[in-house]
Amino acid sequence: MTEPVTLFDVPPAPQKTADVEIFDPPMCCPTGLCGPTLDQTMLDVNEMILSLQTDGLRVERYQINSHPNAFLGNTEVMELVREKEMEALPITVVRGIIVKVGTYPAQDEVRAALNGVSA
Amino acid sequence: MTHYIFFSGKGGVGKTCMACTHAVRYADEGKRALIVTTDPASNLADVFEQEIGHHVTPIAGVPNLFAMEIDPDQATQEYIDRAMAPIRAAFPAQMVQVIEEQMSGPCTAEVAAFDRFTDFLDLPSQDGSNYDVVIFDTAPTGHTIRLLELPAEWSLSIDKASQGSGQTCIGPTAAIQDAKHKYEHALSVMRDGTQAQFFFVLHPEAIAIRETRRAISELEKLSIQNFQLIINGIIPPEGTQDPLFSARAEMQSDYLTQIERELAFTKQRMTLLASEIKGIECLRTVGKIFFDGEQVLTESEASGKKTVSVASPPSIDDVRAHIQPNGNRRTLFFAGKGGVGKTVASCVTAVWLARQGYKTLLLTTDPAAHLGDVLDSPVGDDVSAIGGQPNLWAVNIDPKAAAETYKARILADARQRGRLESAIKVMEEELNSPCTEEMAAFDKFIDYASQDEWQVVVFDTAPTGHTLRLLELPVDWSRQIDVKVFASVDASTADDVAKQRFGQVIEMMCDPSQSTFAFVMYPESTPILEAWRAAKELETVGVHAGMVMANFVIPPGQTTTPFVQSRRAMQEKYLAEIRERFPVPLIQIPLLATEVKGLEMLTELGETIYGNGQTASMTSRFTSLT
Repeated sequence: MTEPVTLFDVPPAPQKTADVEIFDPPMCCPTGLCGPTLDQTMLDVNEMILSLQTDGLRVERYQINSHPNAFLGNTEVMELVREKEMEALPITVVRGIIVKVGTYPAQDEVRAALNGVSA
Repeated sequence: MTHYIFFSGKGGVGKTCMACTHAVRYADEGKRALIVTTDPASNLADVFEQEIGHHVTPIAGVPNLFAMEIDPDQATQEYIDRAMAPIRAAFPAQMVQVIEEQMSGPCTAEVAAFDRFTDFLDLPSQDGSNYDVVIFDTAPTGHTIRLLELPAEWSLSIDKASQGSGQTCIGPTAAIQDAKHKYEHALSVMRDGTQAQFFFVLHPEAIAIRETRRAISELEKLSIQNFQLIINGIIPPEGTQDPLFSARAEMQSDYLTQIERELAFTKQRMTLLASEIKGIECLRTVGKIFFDGEQVLTESEASGKKTVSVASPPSIDDVRAHIQPNGNRRTLFFAGKGGVGKTVASCVTAVWLARQGYKTLLLTTDPAAHLGDVLDSPVGDDVSAIGGQPNLWAVNIDPKAAAETYKARILADARQRGRLESAIKVMEEELNSPCTEEMAAFDKFIDYASQDEWQVVVFDTAPTGHTLRLLELPVDWSRQIDVKVFASVDASTADDVAKQRFGQVIEMMCDPSQSTFAFVMYPESTPILEAWRAAKELETVGVHAGMVMANFVIPPGQTTTPFVQSRRAMQEKYLAEIRERFPVPLIQIPLLATEVKGLEMLTELGETIYGNGQTASMTSRFTSLT
């Protein structure tokens, strides 16, 4: 038996996808502070993300104008976007599965999805 | 190595003219020279007497010389196009449109203009062409400072953003990461004294000295060095035979001494010419005077020219109808390029109205404001009564201070709502972006403009280009809110309230019974054209000029020497042009022997202009122009 050939000194880092991905509608900034008024919904979302991150989860947010490739790389997301256009956004994806379309989820919903999927 | 020269100073001091004189001189010496303006109200085309526009254009009659006017609107469009290309290709049309609307916000315009500006600091590698000298005819002081401060602030914003939420107001980090190198390079070029040189052009006047000192110290804080001064508008010996000009020359000589004493930089002087500076040949003549110290007499405008008939002045009642409240509160906006006397016009008008018994608030958002200097009474960030003048209050909206207050309010509100400290930190980062200042200053203006206790609000606005952007903000913002509806599904009542608030401000600005836009200028080609362009642009948002004010008008009875006659003849020609371009009442403010300062002088000047409330005329030490 031949020994396995090592191709890499260091194995390539596993492409760990984000636990939670949020495909945002177009906006100036994620906390809603760029506009003339504060959007409390955006603040809730921001807090949810921070809380998930505190638990060691990886959360990514994408906007069309900065991360068009993240949209283009997800066939299901693009299907929704082409079909429902703006009304599809925001889209929340938990470990590759779309869990919420058109509104932001509450933290409980995301946690439930995380538990359900990882169980 | 390319040499970069920046011209700075208050608008109207001859900055563009001195920048052009340098550019023509370098080109004539065989150097490949490029002159770029970042002033939203550019006048390069007027000085060179040819179309220039938003692209590098060869100047006819001067081989080696090229010019470009950075058009903020077009720069914005180019920036948007670049960012939108991948999106247009892949997304449905409706979404493309929404994203485009979003990118048309006020932040993008500021970013785009600056982005284009930094491109020119990187020219050789840009298009392969090499310039020996690149000259920037920058925007007036307050705006220039902000523009030049941006690279430092942005590098900071970008650093912070990559550690924090990954976003800034400017746009997501990923999108500006490429730009970071560019901005750092821009700053390093500006800091290198062997590559960059900063000229400050100023008139020998108290306010100009103070402003120059302040502007230089702001730049020194950014580790910029290599400053030089050009003291312009010095009355030549042949001008001093006239009593008015002789008095002004005396005033100048005191200020020249003060400049020698207080501003320890290399200084050059430039004389006031009998006629204005326009065209290549004229610029070469100015070059001879400035660089070679030649005594060149420019042709006198008075000789052999027919006198322009001066139309009858507007009736005093007509003028008063434009400034006095009419049932509603009246808001007066004084617009015009910095240095034309906007602050003086605002103060004179506010003092006159207060003396008529109207409760009057005088305010400014100009970072280079000097209300306190003209009133000779302290003016701060809080509304305060002006001592010695009942019914008059004043406030200086400092955009930096307004931004701090705004930030504190938003963060306190978030804490009160029980937001997590970590979330508040993210908010704080976002609020440190440069756009917050613009937004906060405007927010404060709306606060004051909608207070019920004032019968008159007098707004000494920032210089033209800046003003326009500021005044267009409400329109932009209500558009932003239309777009933002998508972001949150809960119909945000806060947004509705805000939208209504902006709607009211727009309505107020468009209604001539509530608001008057007064364009201030002096009777010379460039300021008239700038005011006219600004007025045209305001018309596109439904705002129309209500009156115009010509400042520094030489009284007709004063023209005793050929020098003064020549300048008066030039002014008459331009007063006629003002009437032609602006079919609204024209108010003339006389050229005075000294600077306008203090309530007594403002009161007298106000009565010369608007008449005395009680008696028809009173003895005034100012010569009436009508």
